[in-house]
Amino acid sequence: MSFNRAIPKLPPQFRGKWNQKTYHVLRELGRGANGAVYLVSQDGVRRAVKIGAEGMDILMEVHALKSVQQGRDARVTVAPLLCDVDDLYIDGRSCTFYAMEYLDGEQLDQFVQRTGTDWVPVLIIQLLARLAVLHQRGWVFGDLKPENVIVTRADSQVRLIDFGGVTKHGCAVRQFTEEYDRAAWHAGDRRAEPAYDLFSLAVMTVRLASSPEVWKSSRTEPRQTSLLCDIIRNNDSLYPFRVPLIKAFHGQYAGAEEMKSDMLAIVQGRTTAVQQKKASGSGSSGIWIGGLFVASMLLLAGTLYYAWMM
Amino acid sequence: MKEATLRQILVVTDGCSNSGISPVAAATLAREQGITVNVIGVIEKGDMGEQGEKEIREIAEAGGGLFDIVYPQQLAQTVQMLTRKAMTRTIHQVVSKELKEILGDSAMEGLVPEKRVQVAGMVDELGERSRLDVVMLVDSSGSMKPKLAAVQQAIHDFSISLRSRSGQSRMAVCSFPGKQNHLDVRIPWTEEVDQAHQLTSGLTMSGITPTGPAIIEAIALFEHVKLPTGLRDRYGHNELEDGDQGSLRDHVF
Repeated sequence: MSFNRAIPKLPPQFRGKWNQKTYHVLRELGRGANGAVYLVSQDGVRRAVKIGAEGMDILMEVHALKSVQQGRDARVTVAPLLCDVDDLYIDGRSCTFYAMEYLDGEQLDQFVQRTGTDWVPVLIIQLLARLAVLHQRGWVFGDLKPENVIVTRADSQVRLIDFGGVTKHGCAVRQFTEEYDRAAWHAGDRRAEPAYDLFSLAVMTVRLASSPEVWKSSRTEPRQTSLLCDIIRNNDSLYPFRVPLIKAFHGQYAGAEEMKSDMLAIVQGRTTAVQQKKASGSGSSGIWIGGLFVASMLLLAGTLYYAWMM
Repeated sequence: MKEATLRQILVVTDGCSNSGISPVAAATLAREQGITVNVIGVIEKGDMGEQGEKEIREIAEAGGGLFDIVYPQQLAQTVQMLTRKAMTRTIHQVVSKELKEILGDSAMEGLVPEKRVQVAGMVDELGERSRLDVVMLVDSSGSMKPKLAAVQQAIHDFSISLRSRSGQSRMAVCSFPGKQNHLDVRIPWTEEVDQAHQLTSGLTMSGITPTGPAIIEAIALFEHVKLPTGLRDRYGHNELEDGDQGSLRDHVF
């Protein structure tokens, strides 16, 4: 979308007006509704710098990022860490930018495409843990979609990026994408509450586990969640999760924790069931089990890590 | 700062105006009355044409608002984004003006970024809590016909967005040209648009696009504005009830 002003182009090297940090631009990482994000190097450390057409939008994002990071337990990483907020002059105009921790990773949908849909429940459970922390602090992510989630290359951790949609609990969601928006699916309004994020998450789960052709077929107007239920019914990897997914469509979860424990129970129950089946002689699903085993181990590791951090 | 009312006119059109007062002049007048004018150009394929794009940009600039040119399927989301960004911008302008009075020239730019982040948080909060009145002005000239289904959906969608705000919000929908006047009020001020509402029924399809006169008439829908006698004689089909007019006039932002 192009509003009045174009996103200013960062010079190859620049220094912040206030904090005097020097940045070398390496490449552009992507563009969102509010601005562009660049990979930069500052004193040899890689960072991501975001700059936008409207300074106010950038400042509001920083405001949300800062509020999310406030709190007793800064070790639970929900958002990329904020490193710097400053101005620079581009063509004589003062532009505001911010620098944050660079998360080297793959966009959620690309990661799933590469590694397979076995990963989907694991990633969703990780995401639910992140959302739980965000919600606890009084914020709702808003614009939840695969493009705004990264799986880190080093340790396959799910991280939320692009905080342009992050909204205070009870306010109107600031930014959304229709494909994952509760109101566009005629399933409620746009008031920021945990159930809003859980709805988007459930739609995203269906999207991640479906082939592009099937996903396209759901995009008939008007959008109705019954279309998503049809996909779930006909998809072997989604079917076991039908209960939590449908509950999320109907806003029946008060919080992310609740949905997370339902999802966990299914993953764990299923793994044991398949193992028993293998023990009794049907050996055709070896790869399947391998994937699930890895998944459950990672999950266990993640849970332990999380529990330890709490 | 006490609770304020933000007033916006949102023009949805697909081409140039060709009748009556210049829409840029009309937008200037609206802004003068404390009403921001935003414009969305809807295109089928290709682009708007240089002339159409220029007009849309100029209307938004004169009206202190924002504009965008989109395909019908992007309309709903654009309406929400544009409205929110224009609100932010209006509040930001008021806040910077007040800061300027306290701190002198370029006050906002002179603040350290950390302080500005706090101001942004405040602007955001004010935007969410303010009253918001929006008149949607839908071009219903012949060429818009295939896009009206998308417009209708966008209206309903926008109503949901408004309902989700914490501040009080109202919207009205008008189409232009109207049967007798330059504009017909399709949905009078409401806090919630009924989904069953049909925009297309009883529409006057015509070749003329009186964008300017329609903006002038839309100004009259905002109760706080008292039209000058000359204009009221010409456009004042929607006569205002006496009462709360005038009193809000000075608090406009």
